Amino acid sequence: MSTSSASSTADPSRVDDTGMAVELRGITKRFPGVVANKDVNIAVRRGRVHAIVGENGAGKSTLMNTLYGMQRPDEGTIMIEGKEVAFHSPSDAIAAGIGMVHQHFMLADNLTVLENVVLGSEPSRGGFLDFGRARSRIQEISDTYGLDVRPDVRVEDLGVGDRQRVEILKVLYRGARILILDEPTAVLVPQEVEELFDNLRELTGEGLTVLFISHKLDEVLSVADEITVIRRGTTVDTVLPADVTARQLAQLMVGSELPTPETRESTVTDTVELTVEGFTMHNLEGRAVLDDVSFDIRRGQVLGIAGVEGNGQAELVEAIMGMRALSSGTLRLADRDLSSWRTRERREAGIAYIPEDRHRHGMLLDAPLWENRVLGHQTQPPNVKGPWIDKAGARRDTQRIIEQYDVRTPGVDVLASSLSGGNQQKLIVGREMSGEPRVLIASHPTRGVDVGAQAAIWEHIRQARRDGLAVLLISADLDELIGLSDSIKVILRGRFVADVDPSDVTPEQLGSAMTGAGEKA
Amino acid sequence: MSPRVDLRRLVLAIGAPVLAIIFASLVTALVLVAAGDPVWSTVTTLWDYGSQPRTIALTLNQGTTYYLSALAVAIGFRMNLFNIGVDGQYRAAAFAAAAIGGAVSLPKPLHLLLIVAVAVAVGAMWASIAAVLKVTRGVSEVISTIMLNAIATALIAYLLRKVKVDVAGSNNIGTKPLPESGHFPGIPLIPGSTLDVYGFLVVAVLAGIAYSVLLGRTRFGFDLRATGRSQSAAVASGVDVKRMVIVSMLLSGAIAGLVGMPQLLGSSYSYSLDFPAGLGFTGIAIALVGRNNAVGMVFAALLFSFLDVSSVILDINDISKEIVLIMQGTIVLSVVVVYELVRRYGIAAEQRRVSRELTRTPASEPEGARA
Amino acid sequence: MRRVTTFAAALLTGALALTACGGSSTSQTSPADSSSGSSSAPAKSKLKVGLAYDIGGRGDQSFNDSAAAGLDKAKADLGIEAKEAEASAGEADSAKEERLRALAGAGFNPVIAVGFAYSGAVAKVAKENPDIHFAIIDDANAAGPNITNLLFAENQGSFLVGAAAALKSTKKNIGFIGGVDVPLIHKFQAGYEAGAKAVDPSIKIQSKYLTQPPDFSGFGAPDKGKTAAAGMYDAGADVVFAAAGGSGAGVFEAAKTAGTKAIGVDSDQYKTADPAVRSVILTSMLKKVDVAVFDFIKSATEGTYTPGPRIYDLKANGVDYSTSGGQVDDIKDKLDAFKQKIISGEITVPEK
Repeated sequence: MSTSSASSTADPSRVDDTGMAVELRGITKRFPGVVANKDVNIAVRRGRVHAIVGENGAGKSTLMNTLYGMQRPDEGTIMIEGKEVAFHSPSDAIAAGIGMVHQHFMLADNLTVLENVVLGSEPSRGGFLDFGRARSRIQEISDTYGLDVRPDVRVEDLGVGDRQRVEILKVLYRGARILILDEPTAVLVPQEVEELFDNLRELTGEGLTVLFISHKLDEVLSVADEITVIRRGTTVDTVLPADVTARQLAQLMVGSELPTPETRESTVTDTVELTVEGFTMHNLEGRAVLDDVSFDIRRGQVLGIAGVEGNGQAELVEAIMGMRALSSGTLRLADRDLSSWRTRERREAGIAYIPEDRHRHGMLLDAPLWENRVLGHQTQPPNVKGPWIDKAGARRDTQRIIEQYDVRTPGVDVLASSLSGGNQQKLIVGREMSGEPRVLIASHPTRGVDVGAQAAIWEHIRQARRDGLAVLLISADLDELIGLSDSIKVILRGRFVADVDPSDVTPEQLGSAMTGAGEKA
Repeated sequence: MSPRVDLRRLVLAIGAPVLAIIFASLVTALVLVAAGDPVWSTVTTLWDYGSQPRTIALTLNQGTTYYLSALAVAIGFRMNLFNIGVDGQYRAAAFAAAAIGGAVSLPKPLHLLLIVAVAVAVGAMWASIAAVLKVTRGVSEVISTIMLNAIATALIAYLLRKVKVDVAGSNNIGTKPLPESGHFPGIPLIPGSTLDVYGFLVVAVLAGIAYSVLLGRTRFGFDLRATGRSQSAAVASGVDVKRMVIVSMLLSGAIAGLVGMPQLLGSSYSYSLDFPAGLGFTGIAIALVGRNNAVGMVFAALLFSFLDVSSVILDINDISKEIVLIMQGTIVLSVVVVYELVRRYGIAAEQRRVSRELTRTPASEPEGARA
Repeated sequence: MRRVTTFAAALLTGALALTACGGSSTSQTSPADSSSGSSSAPAKSKLKVGLAYDIGGRGDQSFNDSAAAGLDKAKADLGIEAKEAEASAGEADSAKEERLRALAGAGFNPVIAVGFAYSGAVAKVAKENPDIHFAIIDDANAAGPNITNLLFAENQGSFLVGAAAALKSTKKNIGFIGGVDVPLIHKFQAGYEAGAKAVDPSIKIQSKYLTQPPDFSGFGAPDKGKTAAAGMYDAGADVVFAAAGGSGAGVFEAAKTAGTKAIGVDSDQYKTADPAVRSVILTSMLKKVDVAVFDFIKSATEGTYTPGPRIYDLKANGVDYSTSGGQVDDIKDKLDAFKQKIISGEITVPEK
């Protein structure tokens, strides 16, 4: 699986212009408490589609932000067309011929394609807008690369695939020679995906270079000329599609290490604690983001949900917590119907919640630790006495959590923002395990935390299971999911598509099931 | 170690506004120099005039009004709501209270209670319109309260003509003056001053204490502050944000209803064309300078009040009194800048301190140790 | 929190800056100060006059300016010393009291308060300072042995310009624009309407006020005046009376655009308005605040104070219509006939 064996399988007509469009050498990027990228090395040939694959949180976005000038690497060099560059902002990257097509389109709906394309780089002649020249140039780009974009249509009248082509045209209009596409197929239906791939082939045929970021392995295998795999922030390998199967690629993505210490002696009881029945939710466009989702979790059971991000997991969790309204569905805790209960009432009833994004949903960063202890438990002792906040009680209990959960902090009065991600997360776990909860909803509980904290949090989840809690675990870390869960359900486009027995599945098999590759375990 | 943390924060908390005021004074001095006015004599003129017993009483009176306005604004601020409508709320409240208070006669304590209750209710009601619009239709409270200020102006002008009492020979119109039972007795607080301090000062102090306790010590206050710091985290913690918007706007409006009371019950006894206007905006400035802190706003209210009251003397001494506006504006601007700088510095310093203290703990402690 | 803070600061600074701009710089030292030995100066010690303006102060193109003109004339002709102070928008009564107290305390006597808003303040401060004489313009309510009330029969002057408007209107459709909806301006409206109806009982009169109190910007907002006037001209009016202080400039512009006529107020605006729009000014309703101020100061220099109301009506030549520009020369006889009837009491002009 080494890059040297490339030429035999690749299209011979392209092999000759072998100049490197982009070279990343030893890129390392640290954020407080985490290393997002570590010693990343990638070489991208001109005129190729180069895919970068990896799990969610593996560091793909950080890497692309670095390449696009949105962040500066702590170490390492970036070479564009053989020359070393240092980008201070995206405009530097654009000037160097790099264009980024974001996953979420950045188009103004009420403007025409033409206006959207020229927005920010308005053509002028003697101080007046020169739309005529822009229109002919757009037409020219569209024809050259077969994008089929009509300049005078309003964006609001376009479909998703058309919009994406407008985004691509927009970066080409600004003179991009190297295109970064961040998860471009996430929003497309299969036919649109095929059209996109045709477009990409046209682009590379004309000598442009495409960096294609994805975690959908079958797509990557069909469109990429070369594939670089990133795992835990670092490059693992670069392979040719002809040399690997989806299964092998998945194995590279998730790593071959098997789940860390398993506790297989089952604690699952017969008592159903949490019942989710027929959860259905529609987004603003009327598409079902949750489609008739049902499951039970028993006392002492960990139910894992596997799925590519954005397939309804966040909506499921927020619906259980009462933070988002369902179109239909019933939630029961033991034999009580909680469907119409508010978030606070659900929490009081014993549902603990470790949110996916602790900064958005889990903490008050500007507040001291003891106030963060109160958060989410504003109505429960030892935090309150009647309508009053019991500051002394809350502080004492924060100290208990700090000790029991090994939160590294000088005291309970420091601001939450001063702690590392791992310590913040341990505080959240400790807080949520307080007050004898009956159900734990853990969404990506170890995302972005260091290895030590990760092990500790795993142990706390196991402890919760031993204590008889019903645990719902959502994670992109397949090792974590397989290691901790008693059973796993795979979610795809808001529906459960497979049940998986964690004792009898490899991360690769699970990965395939998640991407809808059809290899059910 | 916690007392040390508090001390450090205290120094930052007091240092920031002091720094801002020094900066604002420098800018003002530069403006004076540029305009050719003598800096030192401006200062001494202000000070001499401002330190007379009578002026001190006036400063306290004006400060009482300013403080109530700042409290009303601050409640919204603490939860990220921008109640620009305090202005309309207090005017509507004062008008209604004056009209009703002038129309009835009751024994003294009851009469006063009725007037204040009407003011509080009307202020809250006027604010509730913006709250309901925000919660049900997603209308930004900034827009709706600005509109409601204009509507209040028109509505009061219309109603004032309905209930006005003509005073012979006067070109002013106003509500029927409150009878003696509707006067809030003044307090001869400042020795040497012929002017009593508004009795309503006591109410303002109580309101400040209530504000401080409500926000700092109660569950409700916690929810309110949590919503202000991070709405998403508050929602996840079980705060019903819509309910909080309604309740805090009602509270803000209720306190706004008190803003006109010192003037109405302590000196003018009727709502007329020249009833003070614009106090809601002064309240915004004071809440900013006082950092929404009950004690901080006392100092800010007194500072602004001192400047406003003393500015009268500048005209007489041939110094443009607009210099006071420049000073107030610069204070607000520099306060915002300095607070942000101090906030960032504080966070960075704390992060450094935390990591320093943590590296001092023995490294041999096992990873992931637990009880 | 931070979003709100930043926004608030931006908004406030804007507001403060506007206020600062709006308030004209005041308290120029009197030009007469230097020329202390003014020709007609009385031999005895110089009279020190204090004058407190209402919102807008000197430079408001309206009646504050009119009072300032009277003061300037007194400085030039009588050699007095003067000190001026100005009100802030939205201030409390206590601030007005303090302004008068400060003037009194600094040895100014007499003290003149411009505008009815000073009513309560004058009554109170005059009582505290029985040795100092006060005058108040446009208010009869503040009474005392040391208070002179300078009052104007605006309704009488307005009657005459109302008659002029009706005589000059070819479409039998005229307009009235009041600056701020206050009783004082209602007096202008009442007289104007009575005058117009006296000429033609069937005439159509449109009326509008620019702002409602406590928003007193209607006395200094040419843009609002222009919009309101343009609306009236569109609706068929061909003469509009602008009893709106500085906002009148906008009314004149609208008249110029529409090719119609307008009537000025307070001073002879044919002389003070922008030369480009002078041709539209039919006449002006003169309210001689300057004369009243000058007269009061003059009697003070002679040591004679008359407490109580001094009424400046047509008879006392305190209100009038102007003839500059010659546009009312053809109807002068008719107007003067009305004037005589009012002076003789044959016509009583309503006040509201």
